[in-house]
Amino acid sequence: MTKRMSRRAVLPLLLAPAVALSACSTGTTSDEANGGETTIRLMAYATGGFKEKYIKAVIEPFEQANPGIKVEYDGVVSSAEMLGRLRTQKSNPTVDVSIMDLSVAESANKEGIFAPLDPAKVPNMKDLSEQAKVRDNFGPGVTFDNLTLAYNTKAVSTPPTSWNDLWDPAYKGKISISAPPQLDGIGLTVILNKMLGGDYTASIEPAIKRLRELAPSVQTWNPQPDTYTLVKSGQVELALAWNARSQLQHDQSNGALGVVLPKEGSIMQVNTINLVKGGKQADAAQKFIDHALSPDAQAAFSAEMFYAPTNMLTKVNDEVAQRTVMTPEKLKTMIAVDWNWLAEHRAEWTDVWRKDVISN
Amino acid sequence: MALLTPGLLALGVSFLVPLVWLARMSLNRTVGPAELQPAVSPQSYIDVLTDGFMWKVAWHTLWLGLLVTVLTIVVSYPIALFLARTRSRLRGLLMALAIAPLLTSSVVRTFGWLILLSDDGVVNSALRTLGITSEPLVLTNNVTGVVIALVEIMMPYAILAMIAGFGRVSKNLEEAAGSLGAGRLRCFVRITFPLSLPGVFTGALMVFVLTISAFITPRLMGGGRVFVIATEIYDQATTTLDWPRASALSVLLLLLFGVFLVLYQRLFRMVEGK
Repeated sequence: MTKRMSRRAVLPLLLAPAVALSACSTGTTSDEANGGETTIRLMAYATGGFKEKYIKAVIEPFEQANPGIKVEYDGVVSSAEMLGRLRTQKSNPTVDVSIMDLSVAESANKEGIFAPLDPAKVPNMKDLSEQAKVRDNFGPGVTFDNLTLAYNTKAVSTPPTSWNDLWDPAYKGKISISAPPQLDGIGLTVILNKMLGGDYTASIEPAIKRLRELAPSVQTWNPQPDTYTLVKSGQVELALAWNARSQLQHDQSNGALGVVLPKEGSIMQVNTINLVKGGKQADAAQKFIDHALSPDAQAAFSAEMFYAPTNMLTKVNDEVAQRTVMTPEKLKTMIAVDWNWLAEHRAEWTDVWRKDVISN
Repeated sequence: MALLTPGLLALGVSFLVPLVWLARMSLNRTVGPAELQPAVSPQSYIDVLTDGFMWKVAWHTLWLGLLVTVLTIVVSYPIALFLARTRSRLRGLLMALAIAPLLTSSVVRTFGWLILLSDDGVVNSALRTLGITSEPLVLTNNVTGVVIALVEIMMPYAILAMIAGFGRVSKNLEEAAGSLGAGRLRCFVRITFPLSLPGVFTGALMVFVLTISAFITPRLMGGGRVFVIATEIYDQATTTLDWPRASALSVLLLLLFGVFLVLYQRLFRMVEGK
């Protein structure tokens, strides 16, 4: 609030010389100097290599193809924080496009922070896989990720193959799991429940019972500074982790961190790409969104960061396919998840975890 | 009055406006997972106050606050007393050493403790080398680690507050007691300690308030097992995105501070009035 007030107060001061200049018509205004260039702001993840990889694989090619448009990347730590920032600037947004988790985006859709896309301006939307589609043309899925097991390759001689390996006594005290409200723990609950033959929308008692047996083996429910650092350093040996970041950390740590997609399958996390309502560059923003959803951009980002593409026409090489959930046999093992339903029950599940799993 | 205006204005903008905004937010509603809807509803307060787990968290917070306060005061008292009374030329240097930790952020210091107290950290290796333990003690990712780190982080505050409050401790009175036949212990119990109580109370209040509002250390050192009101507010505000609930919790925590301030003033007056 104070910022806005002071800006208003400063404006006449800034304008005075500009008016003076234009009156003498000697200077060029900055708009002319820029040749009418448009700048759009993208708000997306700041962490885990996402920013650098996204700029390289998606934004730079877009700017080359569209010399009139520049994309500024505004890195934010989490989807929830993005929503927080967007809420505070709802009446006068400074961001045009945002990439965030599907269930957080749905809250923003309902609050009127995001606007539906125009299918005519984002033709690539029609080629997206079913899981990437969002109601009423709101921002669709742009990346798929999935839960995996990450392990320290020095300490672990036989790589894990199953989620059940978490209960292996060899890992006692050497396990890290991000508990709910983090999506990691929510996802693990869904997977275990499915393995034990239950339906998570009916009851999660089977999963909770199993997790209670795991609790004494868990070193931390809130890995700091993050899961990947703990695995790489050997502070923990086995951890619940996300595929894309694990694959990247595997490469960056020269294989100190190993990644396994357990044979029972996993769940997919979806990041959506959204148009901010009331943004001044809606056309350029949608042009960028269309580019982000194009097979080329999707393939390039998958190759850099191992998120699986959401556009079904995307072609990636075998290595990238093997390291994401792109292969048909892996896709078959993915457990269907209704993230919006889960978002509604997140607080409730968090409570159950705290009462029956963690403080047990 | 005219002279007061800028000060009042600054206070109003920097403290009052955010507080009013917070109080207003706590009356809004969260619909569905995290959709924020404007409203004037006490629902968040009702939810918080009827949630058994929140009471447990509140109780846990107070318990942690008391434990850390007592330990911090016990450890800091001798240091503060020494620094307040010493006539050594090194006093300035020693003061600076005691306060120096304040120059680094508590995030850095907590991470430092995380490394020192880990399974292969300095503390556990020393214990093993000395043959005191065979298995590493679990000193991180639990409440033990949180208490150790918090006590160390709070010590400079306690020392500063106590030194400031030790004004009435006087060498002359102690010497008088000594010349009248009181032993060292008796002199401490009857003269020095009672005179230092205002300092102790100020230090204790400061440590207590800082501890129950501490967020970073329980978060980083707790391994997700230590639930306190501050971490709860953080989760509600930044992960579950229930802003009204987070605001309601903040307002309630603020009220709790108020209660302790009043208690402190009573206690202070009691001691002073003696």
